[in-house]
Amino acid sequence: MKMEIIGEKIGEVEVLKLKGRLDASSAKDFKDRINSLVTGNSDKIVIDMEKVDFIDSSGLGSLVSSLRSVNKSGGDIKISSLQNQVRAIFELTRLHRVFGIYEDNNAAAISF
Amino acid sequence: MLPCWELNLKGSRFRERMATMDTRRIEFVIDSDIENVSLLGMSINKICSSASFSEIDCFNIELCVVEAVTNSIKHAHHGEAGNEVKVVLTLTPKDITLDVYDTGVPMDPKMLDEARLIWPEEEDSADPDGIAEGGRGLGIMKEIMDGAIYRSEKGGNRLTLKKALPTTKIDSDP
Repeated sequence: MKMEIIGEKIGEVEVLKLKGRLDASSAKDFKDRINSLVTGNSDKIVIDMEKVDFIDSSGLGSLVSSLRSVNKSGGDIKISSLQNQVRAIFELTRLHRVFGIYEDNNAAAISF
Repeated sequence: MLPCWELNLKGSRFRERMATMDTRRIEFVIDSDIENVSLLGMSINKICSSASFSEIDCFNIELCVVEAVTNSIKHAHHGEAGNEVKVVLTLTPKDITLDVYDTGVPMDPKMLDEARLIWPEEEDSADPDGIAEGGRGLGIMKEIMDGAIYRSEKGGNRLTLKKALPTTKIDSDP
């Protein structure tokens, strides 16, 4: 059950569209993708989670780790289009207070 | 003898045993490979949706099983394939019980007792540097399920998770 990651751009903002499950089996691929963006000096990143239908604590941990990494390079990660059940897990773990969460990619991109 | 069937699915075994007419007991056995966990989680979600659990309950129960089995693979078996992790699902008219068995390194039971979803130092933090990267799995299970008990004995470990079925509401309106 591999998660797909498709990269797009809105202006200078990198948009990573995730599809599938962000869990222990996909967390490393996700962090690697973020690290490659940071290495390439991209520090404004939107994570489009419209097609993420499942997230666990490993997936949440990969998001926190990525946010720290991007923050260290002076950038930020914004999250868009959460499905209701995934949003509920963000709220349960209070990570909705740590990440900027937006309704869609454009709203997330213009928030930088 | 109770009716029983078993199916092999990509290194996983799936067995259903009719315990009584009102109780269904289903066993899943997977190899301790993290790639097997999602298939197991989705199967349990489907079974929950066939009971009277809401969509959000099914998601949450799947999440707790995924957390428990991932812990068994990552911590009890150090992420190494080649060991069995078994989940026994028991569905009664009142509740669902999920027993997660492994034969790896036992967890200190205090970890479950002391697990929290939010640590005091994180209570008011919106700063990612003040937030733990991991360690939320046990806290999530305790928060979502109605009961979580861990036992380790005779070379085997068992985490039991229980959640009550929603009570049926009687609408008094005509």
